[in-house]
Amino acid sequence: MSTELLLELSEVTAGYGKMPVLHGVSIKCHRGEIVTLLGANGVGKTTTLRTILGQLKPRDGEIKFNGADITRLPPHKTAALGVAHSPEGRNIFGNLTVIENLRAGAHLLKTRKELKEHLDRVYSMFPRLKERRTQIAGSLSGGEQQMLAMGRALMSNPRLMLLDEPSLGLAPQLVKLVADTLTEVNRTGTSVLLVEQNARLALEISRYGYVMEKGAIALEGNAKELGANEQVKKVYLGIA
Amino acid sequence: MTYFIQQMLNGVCWGSILAMLGAGYTMTFGIIGLVNFAHGEIFMAGAFAAYFALHVAGLPFGVAAVLGILGAIAIGLLVERIAFRPVRGSGMITLFITSFAASIGIRTLFVMLFTDRAKPFSMPAFLKGAYLIGDLFIFKKTIAVVIVLVVVGALLMYLVKKTKTGIAMRAMSYDSETAQSMGINTEKIIIITFIIASALAGVAAIMWGVSYGRIRSSMGMMPVVDAFIASVIGGLGNVFGAIVGGLILGIGETLFVAYLPPELIGLRTLFVWIVLFIIIIVKPSGLFRANVK
Ligand SMILES: Nc1ncnc2c1ncn2[C@@H]1O[C@H](COP(=O)(O)OP(=O)(O)O)[C@@H](O)[C@H]1O
Ligand SMILES: [Mg+2]
Repeated sequence: MSTELLLELSEVTAGYGKMPVLHGVSIKCHRGEIVTLLGANGVGKTTTLRTILGQLKPRDGEIKFNGADITRLPPHKTAALGVAHSPEGRNIFGNLTVIENLRAGAHLLKTRKELKEHLDRVYSMFPRLKERRTQIAGSLSGGEQQMLAMGRALMSNPRLMLLDEPSLGLAPQLVKLVADTLTEVNRTGTSVLLVEQNARLALEISRYGYVMEKGAIALEGNAKELGANEQVKKVYLGIA
Repeated sequence: MTYFIQQMLNGVCWGSILAMLGAGYTMTFGIIGLVNFAHGEIFMAGAFAAYFALHVAGLPFGVAAVLGILGAIAIGLLVERIAFRPVRGSGMITLFITSFAASIGIRTLFVMLFTDRAKPFSMPAFLKGAYLIGDLFIFKKTIAVVIVLVVVGALLMYLVKKTKTGIAMRAMSYDSETAQSMGINTEKIIIITFIIASALAGVAAIMWGVSYGRIRSSMGMMPVVDAFIASVIGGLGNVFGAIVGGLILGIGETLFVAYLPPELIGLRTLFVWIVLFIIIIVKPSGLFRANVK
């Protein structure tokens, strides 16, 4: 495993308006890794991802990506450096067709050849999207929308993919598809920062994990160690 | 029957002007989420730019037409810069007020500088005259306006539907924040949208000059209400819908007046409101699925 740092949050503080949500969060993601961020509802996981993207400006602390300071970069510039996002709730463009959503995700690609290449790759991961390519995305099922959100994020061939609760509300076989796809994506060179409520799944495919409580990292470690931790077992894996 | 067809043909020019204005309206609405009241003044400024090129500088019609479109773009970008960019992100009311102020401000400035008297806008020789088919007059200018409408409309549809920029516009109109996270520079898309919408207003201005032969400082006031209604008919945000809506409204309005007794001619504006009323009751989302948004 390479130990080259790809993403590093140091003591990041952020929030909405006057209300602070993150209180000095530090997270590292190395090149080629899947790192997971666990935590109960409302502790600040989504806020963390949005702060990395630049949708929220941190009040304090520093965020580095691939050696560059991205702490106050606007989202479209962060994206241009190779950060893609599959948001919580999917946020697909409901007015566009499936293929148009994917083309929107490919906005940063320069050539038609690249577009075709990545379109083929996403279609091979999610054949369902190919079948539905001319359908208006707003009419897709929840599972299909999740595939689309992931496929759209992958269209730019990102260095790092931020995934927010991809398994939420999915049927078990779809959860497995999501997990397999992430493993495959990771194998072909994209690092992943995964936010999940499904801790079992997340720890299974990740190398390293963080547990967040009330806007701060409470626990971190290798995925195996975390999975064996009594507290994690009890609170997040539901093993008494 | 001949009278009916003749009136329809007469309505085509007016309909095409509304189609071009409505398409621009609907595009800026899709992107900034608000009706740009100054769109009519952008249209008027385009007409003045072409008028000055044609009648003051004595340039050929083709050059004047291009300058008219460029003039509209210049004023459009100015409106974006002064009335929209500084207040980006503020509420509806603020945007409403700044765009309304821009509209009144530009119009008042033009009235002060050039009065509100009609100025001649002469047609080039190749657009003068008509073909007589049976009892029907088909004016060359009508044919020209229709050709321009079809060509510009097709280009616009291609741009909005097929190009990377078009997809970015539509994505942004649905969810600006998510669009940004795909690397879409939303500031740039807003500028491009204003350029295109203003260019369409410029095209409409040239159509107006050719169709009616005169322009004036207040010419943007009335068509802009009709064009807004055209875009509502077509489904706000839907470019193709706005074009069809403009044609329906323009032709419908002309026919309505044509069959009205002369003493009731003042009811012309009533027509658009009746159409709007019917649409809002029967199909509030407009005739077409909104596609920008
Ligand atoms: N747009 C927002 N405006 C104000 N508060 C918010 C907003 N989004 C989230 N919050 C608050 O921030 C806290 C963390 O939320 P979030 O990051 O979404 O948690 P998680 O993703 O871990 O469930 C919660 O208390 C939530 O109520
Ligand atoms: Mg969340």
